[in-house]
Amino acid sequence: MTVIPFLVAAAAAGTASLLARTHRGLSTSIAVFGLIVMIATATAIGPAASIEIGGSRLAASEWLRLYAILGSLVGLLLVLVDVTALHEPDAPGVIVLGIGAAVLALALSDPGVAVVAATAGGLAGVLVAAPVGAAARAAFVGAREIRALTIAGTLSILATAWLARPLGDLVAAPAVFGAAYLAFAAAVAIRFGAIPFHLWAARVADAAPGVALPLLMAWGPAAFAAVALVWIDQSVAPLVLPFGAERALIAAVGAVSILLGLVAAWIQDDLEHVVGYTIVADAGFAVLGLAVLDPAIWEPTRVWLLVFVVARSALAAWVVAIHGGFGTRRLPELSGWARRAPGLGVALAAIAIATIGWPGLAAWEARATIGTLALPSLLAGLVTIAPVASLAIYGRILAVGLEPVGQTVKVGRGERPSWPTPMPSRPMVGLTGVERTFEKAGHAAGGALDLAWTVPAGIRRNRMGLASIAVLVLGVLAVAVAAGGLGVPAAARAVPAIVEPGPGQPTEPSEPAGSPSASDEASPAPSDGGSGEASPAAGSPGASGSPEASGPLGPSPGSSAPAGSPAGESPGTPGGSAEPSAR
Amino acid sequence: MNLALAGIAAIAVAGAVLAVSGRDPRAIVLGLLVVLLAAPLISSPWPGPLPILARIAAALLATRLLVIGLRGETGESGGTGIGWPAEALVAAAAAVAGFGSHGLGAAGLGPPEAQAAGFALAAIAIAPLLIGRDALRLGVGAVLLLQAATLVREALDGAATDAEHLVLAVLTIAVCGAVAVVTTAARAAGGLGMIDEGATDRRRRGRQPDAHRPTERERDRERDVEGERGRRRRAVSPDQASAE
Repeated sequence: MTVIPFLVAAAAAGTASLLARTHRGLSTSIAVFGLIVMIATATAIGPAASIEIGGSRLAASEWLRLYAILGSLVGLLLVLVDVTALHEPDAPGVIVLGIGAAVLALALSDPGVAVVAATAGGLAGVLVAAPVGAAARAAFVGAREIRALTIAGTLSILATAWLARPLGDLVAAPAVFGAAYLAFAAAVAIRFGAIPFHLWAARVADAAPGVALPLLMAWGPAAFAAVALVWIDQSVAPLVLPFGAERALIAAVGAVSILLGLVAAWIQDDLEHVVGYTIVADAGFAVLGLAVLDPAIWEPTRVWLLVFVVARSALAAWVVAIHGGFGTRRLPELSGWARRAPGLGVALAAIAIATIGWPGLAAWEARATIGTLALPSLLAGLVTIAPVASLAIYGRILAVGLEPVGQTVKVGRGERPSWPTPMPSRPMVGLTGVERTFEKAGHAAGGALDLAWTVPAGIRRNRMGLASIAVLVLGVLAVAVAAGGLGVPAAARAVPAIVEPGPGQPTEPSEPAGSPSASDEASPAPSDGGSGEASPAAGSPGASGSPEASGPLGPSPGSSAPAGSPAGESPGTPGGSAEPSAR
Repeated sequence: MNLALAGIAAIAVAGAVLAVSGRDPRAIVLGLLVVLLAAPLISSPWPGPLPILARIAAALLATRLLVIGLRGETGESGGTGIGWPAEALVAAAAAVAGFGSHGLGAAGLGPPEAQAAGFALAAIAIAPLLIGRDALRLGVGAVLLLQAATLVREALDGAATDAEHLVLAVLTIAVCGAVAVVTTAARAAGGLGMIDEGATDRRRRGRQPDAHRPTERERDRERDVEGERGRRRRAVSPDQASAE
């Protein structure tokens, strides 16, 4: 199955949820139903399925499928945590639309169109970043976010357009390629709020609900970064230019974000700010990944993108649960939280394990590989072990949680299970066995009715415990992804079956990029009559256009990747279109 | 030069000048509508009827969202500080530069008029976007800059596909919807001008004020505090009355 059912479900459920926003319960129910449908449709996506609509191709891949499943699942758990804790309006609908837009961006095989979709999806988040009824400053925060998204969108649209045609005379001015490369990388850094572009992201944490932070700062930008990775592979790497200064600058932004993001997170008292800055720090690895033109960067970066978005979503959900339970996000006011919510303590430990890891764990290895490929050895080592410093962040939070219970926590909800009413006891008055049997049956039915009648009140009374369970599930999911479970490394390694030709591909000058004919060139073997499913042969990178890289600077020396190797078996051939061996 | 395209580009730029220099919100929205309707037509070949319809519908919906966000607004936007003739001259100069540099170093696959219009829109969008102090003006800058980027893309890569037009239509609605949300939030807080308490005093250090929407619990707590204050006032009043 193609991604179309997933996108239709996301668009319909997200729009309906926002249209019903005045009825909060209905709006959330629609979003929850939509997310369940999205999980089902994402599971059914075929990794090689593609469909052409209006001259643009929507192609699936293993990684996209995993992103869609995890995004929908995490979105569902986030909404459930939010319902039990704070129940923010608009957030469920925005989460649904944001995940849908991110998957659309990943599915579009033309990066020029994909960045437009990713920008549109990001702008949907402004709805929760500048909510009506919030403080006066929320409008300023929303405006800053619009500014950042607009500038990032503009840079990426221009960069992709600049290098998406036969480059001709541009070869005489290699600085142009560097400028385009730098522009797109800067766009990704802005979207992530990487240092020094972090001010808007820091302000967003002041206004946006905690449950929406992962979407605004992680899931959407991660899709944007994945598009950038494909574009760099298709359009920049085949040029075989050194890009020394540009790569150094991008690597510097990534490394600084990792180091200073952790420091900033460590000194924050507001837990949502801790989430925001840890996202900035983790995003630094994604930015570092863009500084590498080696095909080996493909797998670790895409592994890390999934690890960090799931782990940070779990941390955001943890903060929402704490805020909902105790009514504050300020760490100094949360003395003894772990004593009243031990389940959340275990969840925090799981999140810490997922984000820090240890040598041998998929997440650790991904970070180490990115650092090694992007930086000199000394800096690479520093950056690789830097996340260990997060122990100080998690340790500080846990230490506060183990202190004696403070007043704020004391009056909070706590995880201990309870029921709103005592179970009614019905005295047995029957004398014979038959009478007592009938009486017992009647009591059982009456007891079941009593119980059913108090279930809503029971859920409300135990919402802290239910939120803790959902956060715990998210924490376990984060550990699983960090450990390389759910097929993450294989999905990150797999080559997209359908790709657009990069500028290195011979293209008729009269044909606009992304025209139907251009897409046809990149299309695999004929599909089976409109189902959109590509034939198995489409999995071969060799089927994705020209097998040989012949960029504007001529054929690459050192081309070694075998054309036609099956998808998923050629970790060194991401992107496929320009056969990364050109580098 | 294609005169028809040049004429449409001139109309789009005129709309943009109106949008950035106007103070009346209705004039600003009208200017944006002109830009959003004209921009998709600066293309060679023209898009088919369906993409055009999608872009027109998106432009109308987008401006409708802006109007909803500004409904009943009696105040004025900041407007330009240099006057509309100066804005028009800046736009004209940028258009000439864009027309002359068509392709940006390599052969452009689209019309040079699109690049001229894109450069003009970008030139007059930068100031409102970067230093605009009210929500609407900043939003105008955002809408114009994204339109400028899509126009330059059109000039470099040629005509957009039907699907690309659809995605651009969604982008138009999304950016105008986002601007409408921000203007609504700003007006709910007192006016189109945006407040950043953290930036009012550069020497100020420490935590920025929180800008979250209050939760139900915080509202309840506030109500309790208000109720307690009211009770105290009522309790104090009779004593004061007897003292008098």
